[in-house]
Amino acid sequence: MSATVKVTVDGRTIEVPAGTLITDAAREAEVHVPIFCAHSKLPPLGACRICVVEVGMPKLGPGRLPVTGADGAPEIAWLPKVQTGCTTTVADGMHVRTDSAVAVKARKGVMEFLLVNHPLDCPVCDEGGECQLQDLAFAFGADFSRMADAKRTFVSEDLGPIVKKEANRCIVCMRCVRYCDEMMGDDALTAHQRGVLTEISSFNRQPLECEQCGNCIEVCPVGALTALPYRFKARPWDLRQHITVCPYCPAGCSVRLGVRGMEILRARGTEFRGVNQEYLCVRGRFGYEFVSSPDRLSSPLLRLGGSLAPAGFDEAVTYAAARLRDIAAAHGPQAIAFLGGDKLNLEEQYLFQKLARGVLGTSNVDARTRATARLPGDAILRATGAGRPSLTLDQLSRAGEALVLGDDLQGEAPYVQSLLILGQHQNGLHLTVAHPRRVKLARSKFGGEWLALKPGSELTLVNALTAASLEAGVPAGVPAEVGAALASLASALGSPEAGARETGISADDLRRAAKRLCAADQKAIVFGRAYTEHPQAAALVQAIENLGWASGALTAKRASVMFVGPQHDSQGALDMGLTPDRLPGYVDPADAAARRPFEQQWGAALDLSPGLSAPEILEAAAEGRVKALWIVADEWVKSAPDRARIERALERCELVIVNDLFLTATAKRAHVVFAAASFAEKEGVAVNCERRLQRSARAISPRRGARPDGEIFQAVARGLGATWSYRTPEDVFREIARLTPGYQGLSWAQLLPLGPQWTSPAPLAGPRIAPAIAPAAAEAGDGLWMLSGGTLFLQGSLSYRGAQLPKLAGEARARLHPDQAQRLGIGDGDTVEIAGSGGSVTLAATLDDAVPAGSVFVPYAFRECDLNRLGAPAGAGLRVRVRKTAAALVGA
Amino acid sequence: MRGPLLFSDIDTPGLASLEGYRRGGGYATLAAVVGKKPADECIEIVKQSGLRGRGGAGFPTGLKWSFVPKNSPRARYIVCNADESEPGTFKDRELMEKNPHLLIEGMVLAGYAIGSNTGYIYLRGEFEYIQRILDRAIDETRAAGLSGANVAGSGFRFDLHTHLGAGAYICGEETALLSSLEGFRGQPRLKPPFPAVEGLYACPTLVNNVETLMNVPHILNHGAAWFRQWGTEKSPGTKILSVSGPVKRPGNYEVPLGMPLSQLIDDLCGGMRDGMKVKAVIPGGSSVPLLPASLLDTGLDFESMNAAGTFLGSGGVIVIDEGTCMVDALWNITRFYEHESCGKCTPCREGTYWMSEVLRRLEHGEGRADDLDLLADLADNILGKSFCALGDAAAMPVQGALLHFRDEFEHHVTHRSCLVNRRRDGLSVVRPCEQAHA
Ligand SMILES: Cc1cc2nc3c(=O)[nH]c(=O)nc-3n(C[C@H](O)[C@H](O)[C@H](O)COP(=O)(O)O)c2cc1C
Ligand code: SF4
Ligand code: SF4
Ligand code: SF4
Ligand code: FES
Repeated sequence: MSATVKVTVDGRTIEVPAGTLITDAAREAEVHVPIFCAHSKLPPLGACRICVVEVGMPKLGPGRLPVTGADGAPEIAWLPKVQTGCTTTVADGMHVRTDSAVAVKARKGVMEFLLVNHPLDCPVCDEGGECQLQDLAFAFGADFSRMADAKRTFVSEDLGPIVKKEANRCIVCMRCVRYCDEMMGDDALTAHQRGVLTEISSFNRQPLECEQCGNCIEVCPVGALTALPYRFKARPWDLRQHITVCPYCPAGCSVRLGVRGMEILRARGTEFRGVNQEYLCVRGRFGYEFVSSPDRLSSPLLRLGGSLAPAGFDEAVTYAAARLRDIAAAHGPQAIAFLGGDKLNLEEQYLFQKLARGVLGTSNVDARTRATARLPGDAILRATGAGRPSLTLDQLSRAGEALVLGDDLQGEAPYVQSLLILGQHQNGLHLTVAHPRRVKLARSKFGGEWLALKPGSELTLVNALTAASLEAGVPAGVPAEVGAALASLASALGSPEAGARETGISADDLRRAAKRLCAADQKAIVFGRAYTEHPQAAALVQAIENLGWASGALTAKRASVMFVGPQHDSQGALDMGLTPDRLPGYVDPADAAARRPFEQQWGAALDLSPGLSAPEILEAAAEGRVKALWIVADEWVKSAPDRARIERALERCELVIVNDLFLTATAKRAHVVFAAASFAEKEGVAVNCERRLQRSARAISPRRGARPDGEIFQAVARGLGATWSYRTPEDVFREIARLTPGYQGLSWAQLLPLGPQWTSPAPLAGPRIAPAIAPAAAEAGDGLWMLSGGTLFLQGSLSYRGAQLPKLAGEARARLHPDQAQRLGIGDGDTVEIAGSGGSVTLAATLDDAVPAGSVFVPYAFRECDLNRLGAPAGAGLRVRVRKTAAALVGA
Repeated sequence: MRGPLLFSDIDTPGLASLEGYRRGGGYATLAAVVGKKPADECIEIVKQSGLRGRGGAGFPTGLKWSFVPKNSPRARYIVCNADESEPGTFKDRELMEKNPHLLIEGMVLAGYAIGSNTGYIYLRGEFEYIQRILDRAIDETRAAGLSGANVAGSGFRFDLHTHLGAGAYICGEETALLSSLEGFRGQPRLKPPFPAVEGLYACPTLVNNVETLMNVPHILNHGAAWFRQWGTEKSPGTKILSVSGPVKRPGNYEVPLGMPLSQLIDDLCGGMRDGMKVKAVIPGGSSVPLLPASLLDTGLDFESMNAAGTFLGSGGVIVIDEGTCMVDALWNITRFYEHESCGKCTPCREGTYWMSEVLRRLEHGEGRADDLDLLADLADNILGKSFCALGDAAAMPVQGALLHFRDEFEHHVTHRSCLVNRRRDGLSVVRPCEQAHA
């Protein structure tokens, strides 16, 4: 495969890998071959013909020797017809001409044809100025038109709330149709009619039934598809473009914000950079609107005399520092806890915990605020290979087998879902999806295997897969100690048959799934919050580590297990030690040698005992043991596992500090509220789910009165007497890179455009293989299983502050299997009450056969529906009663 | 006897039934070959016979069969191209209507030769009545054990299905046909991979025309040498030609390949009707360049036609008489391609539209002086630049007509009237708006 071939393009000879397309080889040779229908994520099509070139091979004479001409140069036998560069792969010795009379005429001919029916409405076209057709007409087109006849015309259509179609501008390149199918798995677009009447639309011309990602707009090379939310807002040359990292999931897509003045007018993918290139999901593309929300906080707030009132920044800092100092003095630093931070940039995360550990002396630090049980700070690290070189997102889409455990990636990480769909379509990837609901990836059209486990049997499932994997023995190439541990683990685990009973998945299916995983050369295990926020999280993540080693997804050299965390910088939060038991770089505070650099740098002796985890902090605060909370960018009131307890905790605390963009329900209960800058208003690094570091640019200056979180931490630290003097995030990053195992040697400059994945020369933790057992999740009676999870259109409290996402999301719905609904006498649209041990929520019901009978599904992102009111824990394991309270309005 | 081979018994009453077909020796070859003659030998005999595809391209059939991988783990398919959509071609229709069992026998034999157990007959939408004929015949063979689970007791399985298209010319193009058969939009696919390697459902697939497959039982029965008694060295065998236009006896004729075109028109078809004179002949369906009357002695075989600058194509011989206006005729043909362009590629989609707009103007006496060069240039910009041969097929008639009959086009421009058809004098008058003025 490593074979290369020599090819000459317009006289420039270059060497490229065999199998390279002429268009790519030409780019390599710095010769511009235009393309329209070709796209890096789509198989070659060869439809638009704009990439036509002349192709030839050296003439061979007697003895297969090249014939040379009078000038000694080899004579080329040019093919009689021009070839499309986007479908033709290079051969050794091939010559390509783009500048010959034949090639130029062919290209100009195609260009002219493309304009035959194209309207002359560039001045009112959103694409104008960044239109590939316009650019090429400028570069290659004629300066006059021979077309004097009437153009064929269509009527324009709105294909739902996002996509505007102006079919007259369409050049029928089929990118949109193919992208929607190959990448999104939605097939929402199609071509109607044929020939010159070919028109792109939805089936039946109804609003598009799809993820509303707008990628069709992005890949459309002309202005045939434009975004309704952006329509007529700006001319592209009026926009400054800044590349940031999307704040909505750990895929870490690069988002190019288009800014005019202080206003963000649109978000786009980046085409040639970023993990995503052109891709954005609906959240990435339309979710930036909260940045310019009029509801943003415009100054810090202080609770004086019972109510929150605007305060100056210095005043708030002084107050916060004084109160923190007092409480630490009165009750000891362990009475203070720092929560949240997985939405912060890496540098801010570092400063947050440095402030806690180094300045205040508390190790009660945890970013994982939705967790329902304590999870060791290095558990996820171990399960994902302890810093060994790990799977990239690109490799994920090229895996032979991918096992997706527990999460609905459509909600948690849409781009990861798309990469799996792409892999399934183009690279022979086989999917195994373990989820109680038939989530999108488990649909039969993706040809995968759906392991429809019974809710609550997650741990049994992972253990059974491990047991089935080990039936074939210990995989070759694992370290000796791992091999021995796996062998004894095998005898401790029950047979797949036992697992079958509990999970409801047959032992054969379990064995087949394990076998596929073990047998695949390139494999991947993907897991996320469904397991890390599970009441049995510690055992589950241990079970994943076991399965990783048992299936060969973890080896001494490589890791193919990916953690798709709940927030865009969840990985950074783990890396930076926003966990109570680990310092940055997963350093164990009990390890004196490893701890020393931090103590030296921070000028403080560290608290060696592990701090409290988020659920423990919640409990301690509710019981009055923790007296001060600093909650960063986290709507904890709504997301903490138990509503009654969090309310009590916030009431009892003497000091609650909140950093946020908005006066959230949590902020309303605070004593100090710092107005924070949004992702677009600050520079910094985020670490995505493949552990890739990416630097995000500052697109606009912070909203008046708001400050980047890092600045707030520094100000308070200084108020507490620390001598911090970071001028830029780069200063902080340099300190991180100096101190943090795994990050050593990384430089700020290297993180742009696309930084590396961090890896550690030596694993940051030894393998630990142990039986993964947990006390059964409390069986709370005989109600329906309460299933929850992420949803596509909303993610976190910021997502519902804009206009588009809430509109697309509609209202929260309780989803029930039609059979289940019938048994309960519930019809589509009826209002139902869901009652748990702690309380109830009321919302409309929708019938959905993707939800298993015996359960009810409500996504957790809806602002009007706080699932934590149902009682603890809100994750798996909760039983609820569902009853109808009002019938649907007829016709509604 | 209407012809030496496929037409030797075509009008025999009852031939369409299994019994009638058997009476004339039908399925004897199948019984003698399937399970008895090695499959490779069958392919070799077809190769030796020199049989070339009758669907239009004239590709050597045996060679195509040998491209189908022998040890592919995937299923292999046989697809009979019965789309017969080339204007001027109507031979497959008569063959299937009157002798469905010959096609079935040919397909089973082809299936046996390449190791395929499933065959599809893809019929154009209008052939619904032929589908019924074929389905009945397939049922008969299944009941008689000549197709299905155990062909003629040999243990070889071959299932046959018919499928109706939805009315697109492009679905006669083999890869578009396969897309359509799979349920997708009927649009051509990239080649390579060729269908023989990756065809239906990405499995190795043999696509052959009806007439091609109908030759197979005869060849396997009598041998390659026997087959070569007709035709030329490079074009052995016979060909059915569908003759249309103002000849005395239009219709299907089976002739040995190589027969001069003039012989077909003058002798078999009885010459021109009503004292008309031949102006040009399109010898192989509307997609091939026309031959002016001066070249009527060209042999009806693949190589002679190529030498004369055209193709034997599907054998749809369209005779054009001197009273036909070439501008009108060309506009008609071009409109067909505009209508049938699948729209996948730019040159064909936009070029056919533009050309027919220009021709519409010319035909209506609204042409401009530079329109002829424009037309020629548009045709050149399509030819060899389109995705599939349909674009070429649309360009070639334009080039041919302009080459041989430029004066007629010029007359439309300069005189705004027709050189040929005096009845159509003052062309622009037919425009509705001017009628209102008159
Ligand atoms: C636009 C177009 C239309 C075609 N239509 C037909 C058709 O109607 N019937 C047919 O047999 N072949 C048709 N062909 C040729 C087929 O692509 C293919 O070459 C043929 O079916 C192969 O069979 P053969 O080798 O037996 O000729 C068409 C080709 C093109 C490019
Ligand atoms: S709408 Fe745009 S992307 Fe879709 S086919 Fe037309 S030009 Fe291509
Ligand atoms: S996939 Fe994730 S990172 Fe990418 S745009 Fe969507 S939410 Fe943002
Ligand atoms: S030449 Fe192009 S547009 Fe025309 S039929 Fe073929 S693929 Fe379709
Ligand atoms: S880019 Fe090559 S044909 Fe469209």
